[in-house]
Amino acid sequence: MNNDIHTKEILKPVSNSKQIVEKYPRHTLKIIKGNFAAAEAAKLCRVGFVPAYPITPQTSIVERLSSIVAAGELDARYVNMDSEHSVFAAAMGASLAGERVFTATSGQGLFYAHEVLHAIAHFRLPIVICNVGRPSLPWNIWSDQTDSISQRDTGWIQFYGESSQGVLDTIIQGYVISEKLDLPVMVVLDAFYQSHTSENVWVPDSDLVDEFLPPKKRNGNEIDLKNPKDYGGLVPPDHYETFNFQYWRDITKVEELTDEIGQKFGEYFGRKYSAIEAVNIGPKTKMILVALSTITSTARGVINNHPEVGLIKLRLFKPFPVKSILKAFENVPDDTIIINVERNFIGDKEGAIAHEMKHALYGKKNKMYDVYTGLGGKDVPPLTIEKIIEKGFKDPEEIIWIDFE
Amino acid sequence: MEPMNEFLIKEEQVFSGGLSCRGCGWALLVRHLSSILGEKTVYVLPASCFSIITGPYPLNELKGTIVHTMFAAAPATATGIRAVLDRQGNEDATVAVLAGDGGTFDIGIQSLSGAASRGENILYVCNNNGAYMNTGIQTSTATPYGAITTTNPGTNFKNTMPKDLMGIIAAHNIPYAATASLAFLEDYRYKIKKAKKTKGFRLLMIDGPCPPGHKTSPDQSISITRLAVETSLFPLFEVDNQKYKINYFPEKRVPVEKCMKLQGRFSHLFKNNSANVIQEIQDYTDHNWQRLNELHKQSSSN
Repeated sequence: MNNDIHTKEILKPVSNSKQIVEKYPRHTLKIIKGNFAAAEAAKLCRVGFVPAYPITPQTSIVERLSSIVAAGELDARYVNMDSEHSVFAAAMGASLAGERVFTATSGQGLFYAHEVLHAIAHFRLPIVICNVGRPSLPWNIWSDQTDSISQRDTGWIQFYGESSQGVLDTIIQGYVISEKLDLPVMVVLDAFYQSHTSENVWVPDSDLVDEFLPPKKRNGNEIDLKNPKDYGGLVPPDHYETFNFQYWRDITKVEELTDEIGQKFGEYFGRKYSAIEAVNIGPKTKMILVALSTITSTARGVINNHPEVGLIKLRLFKPFPVKSILKAFENVPDDTIIINVERNFIGDKEGAIAHEMKHALYGKKNKMYDVYTGLGGKDVPPLTIEKIIEKGFKDPEEIIWIDFE
Repeated sequence: MEPMNEFLIKEEQVFSGGLSCRGCGWALLVRHLSSILGEKTVYVLPASCFSIITGPYPLNELKGTIVHTMFAAAPATATGIRAVLDRQGNEDATVAVLAGDGGTFDIGIQSLSGAASRGENILYVCNNNGAYMNTGIQTSTATPYGAITTTNPGTNFKNTMPKDLMGIIAAHNIPYAATASLAFLEDYRYKIKKAKKTKGFRLLMIDGPCPPGHKTSPDQSISITRLAVETSLFPLFEVDNQKYKINYFPEKRVPVEKCMKLQGRFSHLFKNNSANVIQEIQDYTDHNWQRLNELHKQSSSN
């Protein structure tokens, strides 16, 4: 399953026709897998330290980065670590010393790194990582968002990518947001549907990315040998809350900043982004599907045949974009029903999207239903989305397990 | 020949007010260590007594940078710091892990092994006081055979030999590993200097006196740690690029019970007719001393 030997072939531009070049100037159109798009983004962001450990289905991200560094295409230190726990600890050390850091992981790796995720967030370190979502034991390596969703309270900003293009673009924006607020960012891909599926990706020229994302500036909190400091020593109760307050103050800026940076990204690259995307939502909408990642693409296609059905794509998931959700619901009637499409299981009656949507829409009268689908990588084809819509209109239940045997 | 005053600290690199218990090894350990490493040092601390001794926020006992990190991950955190310091042109700065035996022998052994195997340019210092003392004297795999701890109380004393971490670390083929004692300061300081000069992964294992944990009198810390060397319970040796060298040969080896008797953690062995346990420890210690002597001879003959 090692496709690296074909990498050079794959990364060749597929077209240089004038028409395509004009669509996104200073870009090259490539057909690449989601994992390679993530690696390409890290390269474009000129990361200086990449600690790595293999895990399916993330492995080809760090493999690709190792060849990029070995070929001298990226001036970075690449280190084969002994575990994901060590990967994140090394990332923490490197970021404390002031370097721009990238790594990638998946499922068990993310679970294993859990305590370090907290430390990185509370050290306020601007690190960007990719997580390719998969669940825990019994062994399953396929698409599922339970791993990243279960890290949502570690303090990391979480984005979910719908396409490989979205992943590449979000990693670039992620560094801008992360370095502006000194908060870590996790960009999540769907396993295989995204990580190992090749699609068209507009790869920006590196000088264009340099204009949008300048080299990392030191903020004075980094390790400075001439001005020694102590990081992370025992903080008594009187002071601990102060750190949390500062953290809270900055995390509340994320949603607005995501929209601002997404808008600015559009000005530079021709593709705009925002915290959420509301599709076909208005006074006549009778049903709204809420989803993350690749399921949104499928739903987009299906709702073309259902003018009364709208879609909310949650691109920013943590902190939850409450303001954007409320804005999307401004003209939505009370009898419009909401269906959360959950590709996660967090040991509760409802999935994680339901918890967040209920918190966002507290006080609204809209009925909300929760659909479990696609867990452990089960395919969610257009027919399943059709069934969800049909079930939602005809015979909704509070919790729906669709396509379930 | 080193001058006789080589154990004196010329320039203190610690501030007053460290929070160690009376008679704790850490206090003396870091005074000598930091006086040689200097201010251009990043100390990486996993959870350990020293992470408390150095003081709560915003205090720092050492003149140098301190980074506190997860219990299991000090060598990994140090790896990231080292890589970036090098990229910034600070190859001459020292990155030193200061860990206890729990963080070294148990929870941290994977990241220790990883960093040693990668040949990271890190100095690893372990203050081995033979138990989780910071959490209140729980058994670690460094706890000596026969000792009682709060998790091996009474007659249910620790009934296995301590892990041979020096053997494990030597098997990683690192450039330098050594044991050291606070009762042999010239030897300790010589080893710090040698470790500082050596490039690659280096480890120093210090016998750590701990009055509350070992149930000893604080004023006997140094004499007991000297006895540990004289009995060969804690022999002084170094492994320099696979070559073993014993640094101190006792004129007449003292029986282990002389050292053990002064420590309350072993007192039950003397009350409960456990002469067989003491004999087992003596035999194990003799065997280990013999083994080191053979490695020493073998190394000096080729």
